[in-house]
Amino acid sequence: MNNAKRAGSARMKRNVFILSFILPTLLLYLVFGIYPLFKGIYLSLFDWSGGSETYNFIGLDNFKEMMNDDVIPKTIRNDYILVFGKIIGFMLISVFFAVALTRFNIKGSGFYRTIFFIPNVLSVVVVGVLWRYVYNPNVGFLNSAISAITGKTYDFAWLGDKWSIFALLPPSIWAGVGFTIILMIAGILAIPSSLYEAAEIDGASQWRQFRLITLPLSWEQIKTSVLWIVMTTLSGSFVIVTIMTFEGGVDNATQVMGSYLYMNAFKFGKFSYGSAIGVLILILSFITTVALQKLMNRENIELT
Amino acid sequence: MKRRTKFSGSRWLMQSSLFLWALGVLYPVVWTVLSALKDNPQFLLGRPWNLPDLPLIWSNFSYVWEKYSFGHYFVNSLIITIVSTLLGALLSATTAYVIARYAFRGSGLLYYSYLSYMMIPAFLGMIPLFFLMDDLYLTNRALGLIIIYTVTAVPFAVFVLVGFFKQLPKELEESAAIDGASHYGTFFRIMLPLVKPGLVSVSIITVLNIWNEYIFALVLVNDPTKYTIPVAIAVMQSEMQYRTEWGPLFAALLVSMGPVLLFYMIFQRKITGGITAGAVKG
Amino acid sequence: MSRLFRKTMTWGSVLLMLTLVLSACGGSKEKGSESSPAASPKASESAKPSESASAPEDVKLTGDFEIQYFVGGYGDAWWKEVIGEFQQLHPDLKIKESAGPKINDQMKPRWIQGSPPDFVYIDGAGSNTRQMVTDDQLLDITDWFKTAQNSDGKLLSDMLIAQPEEYQAGKVHAVPLVFGSWGTFYDKALFKDKGWEAPKDFESFLALGDKIKADGQMSVYIHTGVYPYYINGGLLDPAIVAMNGYDTSIVKKINSLEAGVWSSEPVKKALDKIVQMRDKGFFDKGSPALNHTDSQSQWLQHKAAFIPNGLWVESEMANDTPAGFDFGFLPSITQDNGGKYVANPYVATVAIAKKAKNPDAAKAFLQFLYTEAHGKSWAELSKAPSNIKADLEATNAPALTKEASRFYNSDSTVVSPEVVIPEELVTERNNATLALTKGDITPEEWIDRMEKATEKIRSKENK
Repeated sequence: MNNAKRAGSARMKRNVFILSFILPTLLLYLVFGIYPLFKGIYLSLFDWSGGSETYNFIGLDNFKEMMNDDVIPKTIRNDYILVFGKIIGFMLISVFFAVALTRFNIKGSGFYRTIFFIPNVLSVVVVGVLWRYVYNPNVGFLNSAISAITGKTYDFAWLGDKWSIFALLPPSIWAGVGFTIILMIAGILAIPSSLYEAAEIDGASQWRQFRLITLPLSWEQIKTSVLWIVMTTLSGSFVIVTIMTFEGGVDNATQVMGSYLYMNAFKFGKFSYGSAIGVLILILSFITTVALQKLMNRENIELT
Repeated sequence: MKRRTKFSGSRWLMQSSLFLWALGVLYPVVWTVLSALKDNPQFLLGRPWNLPDLPLIWSNFSYVWEKYSFGHYFVNSLIITIVSTLLGALLSATTAYVIARYAFRGSGLLYYSYLSYMMIPAFLGMIPLFFLMDDLYLTNRALGLIIIYTVTAVPFAVFVLVGFFKQLPKELEESAAIDGASHYGTFFRIMLPLVKPGLVSVSIITVLNIWNEYIFALVLVNDPTKYTIPVAIAVMQSEMQYRTEWGPLFAALLVSMGPVLLFYMIFQRKITGGITAGAVKG
Repeated sequence: MSRLFRKTMTWGSVLLMLTLVLSACGGSKEKGSESSPAASPKASESAKPSESASAPEDVKLTGDFEIQYFVGGYGDAWWKEVIGEFQQLHPDLKIKESAGPKINDQMKPRWIQGSPPDFVYIDGAGSNTRQMVTDDQLLDITDWFKTAQNSDGKLLSDMLIAQPEEYQAGKVHAVPLVFGSWGTFYDKALFKDKGWEAPKDFESFLALGDKIKADGQMSVYIHTGVYPYYINGGLLDPAIVAMNGYDTSIVKKINSLEAGVWSSEPVKKALDKIVQMRDKGFFDKGSPALNHTDSQSQWLQHKAAFIPNGLWVESEMANDTPAGFDFGFLPSITQDNGGKYVANPYVATVAIAKKAKNPDAAKAFLQFLYTEAHGKSWAELSKAPSNIKADLEATNAPALTKEASRFYNSDSTVVSPEVVIPEELVTERNNATLALTKGDITPEEWIDRMEKATEKIRSKENK
């Protein structure tokens, strides 16, 4: 009896402890993290312009309007140009540098590792402002250099073109690739060196070693990197776009889903339409990550 | 002893591309410093690689710090970063500890719902969040940003710290229980100090994220006295359509870059280690 | 990692499903409760014409009073001065200034939420009086305005050069404060040096353009591509009026969103002028990426001969203007041989928020602004003409202002009304015009896009 009571009160204490450690966090998380997400989906089914006057349920009309909005396909196209451009750029560069810094016994590799990560600690705002200056048509770095080399005035508007979205790739890669380099280095370093030694004895070339050992055994890191790129790009491309091309460049040339959401909501006051774009971002990033996950699994099997 | 590779073409290619990339990373930083010391005519020359003319325009810094209130924004950013990092560490360490060391119903659900939050674009909730914060009188206030930054810092921190707590030996709690320590005492006096490395790594990354954050700060703050540095820089860049001030703009960039670069130099190992900690283990 | 990831994704999808289901249910049910406004509209919603229409000194004003004003080319010296005076007059009033070059974007959320400032000066990028009226954000001051007097006891309406635009038929929501002008600008000193003659019509403009191009020193025409409403206001709008035989009624049709107005002959012809300039390679290639000061400083550096802009450019660039630069102004460059100039005015208004917390102070401030003394001080401090009738002879109004007023008073100039269209349409037109100058789209596509966008707004406004 006494024992049971004590056990009961200990249990009680334990539960109180657990709750006291979980609830504050959970509460904040539910109110400020989860609730807005739900509400966002909810809002996308309404015709609501921020005030309280008009708040009508319109079902999927916002999504229908999206179908007829010529800008939406452009934003999706641009987001995927960024996603795939970044995947290719990031992976080529980071695999190359990671291999160079781990497998080739290069002098100063610690120094390089430290340096390469620097852009990652800078705010994307800083990166955007810097690169906007690089691209400035008249006084910027790029055109000034071209003019100086060719001796003729070169004034191409890198950020004022139909295809300016591609001009946003170099800054994005410059700013983020440090992370995947570090990740790939960690992955390669985790590969048992005995494997390489055995390959060496068999007389395998560096390229063969890369193909047969490095690539398959660091595949997890590659996959992680790719998924990380997809998620951060689809939800974060807004920043580099608005900092470098303000409202989406020439005729929405660089408009992405995030910036278009922002513009509709906070410039035109079309909040429910903006929410619908938010749902679009959610669905697309969900589909993309799942599809890429599947795709890379299959390739993984083929490789090994 | 590593194998000696011949001095081959591919090696040379690697050496030089490493060097070039390092240059490409460092040069913009150095260049920003130099450019912050120039005046307008020097910019309009179209020779951005030139060294600044003497005398150097040091006044760009005081101009930005005082007239553009970057001193003020610096304090805003600093307070918000420190408070939300501490708060985030506390809130995530407590949750992570319970998830890792106590068996209870819903613990798995809790863990994975935090994780999946990392995969949902925050943008989806931006509009409702704005109105929610406004209803709670949290827009245009540091507290609002502190809350939202704390919340966004939690999932990653929980993820990493659960891993750290799980590695601690079971005997620790048992001996603590024998000594009559309460649950709270065990956590604060024994367990928490043992995961300090994890806590530090996580906090460092949180600091970087918050210091650099732009989207939430843009949406939730539109009172110029409450800006954080990234928002202030973005505003300053767009104000340059009404007056050209290249030198001060780059001086403002340095206000943002300086602290993080310093921070990075001090904690370099912990930063890169912490970032890969979660990703590589999996 | 992949196992972890898969698990996470599963939970994520569960969460997503749950969310979708919940929100679908919520859709039908919560409608009523949700519509209870967060910030309920304030009691005093419409203007009461009886009180406070007399001279503002009579009333004792207290409480908070927030003034929003945009700071652009005109600077903020005038605002600081008048607000200072107003504060002295009403020491108990707690005045808050929300001002700056980005103020329109910054305050937008507050207007949307229904907690706007009391008084607003509507000017600059992202501002649109018509849109604010459509969104029901501005106080209807029709009746009050009929009898309102300024501090000198004169009727407000008697003080105005341009009367308020009726964004809704018969209603007054905003009073014009600035009456400036769009136009095409050049450096007279440079032209004299080179022996160039300022063009009188499109033909001579094209001829001169060819000469400038052949000269090889600079591009012919630079513009503010990041904000294409500059080229719309400075080039396209006057061209449309000119092509309509100087009949300004077409602007009315544009403003009333009439179907088919964009595909009408005058617009087509006006677009063709842009196409001609484009095909001759007159547009500076860097333009699409340039903001105001970028393009203006390029022009001041003689990297380009012409720029579409507004009268404020002189004071805006005062610090960056090279010595000897002599601002020249042309209302329009697209008129046919022997035709008239078309002047496109630039009007910026002041208004009172519908949800103003202190409408009395806002009205008193409005009355306080429109005096002859303030009209003069605007000209001196902002270096541009205002919409307040005042004798500027004795003031040091800059040369550009005087030159503009010469054009405005001349028989060979047609003064067109302003194009005022909803913000979404402004954005669409900006995008389309910029694309046209770059050759990305044809004039037919420009017309098609504008007709479609206008139709969309029309159907929404009629709902």
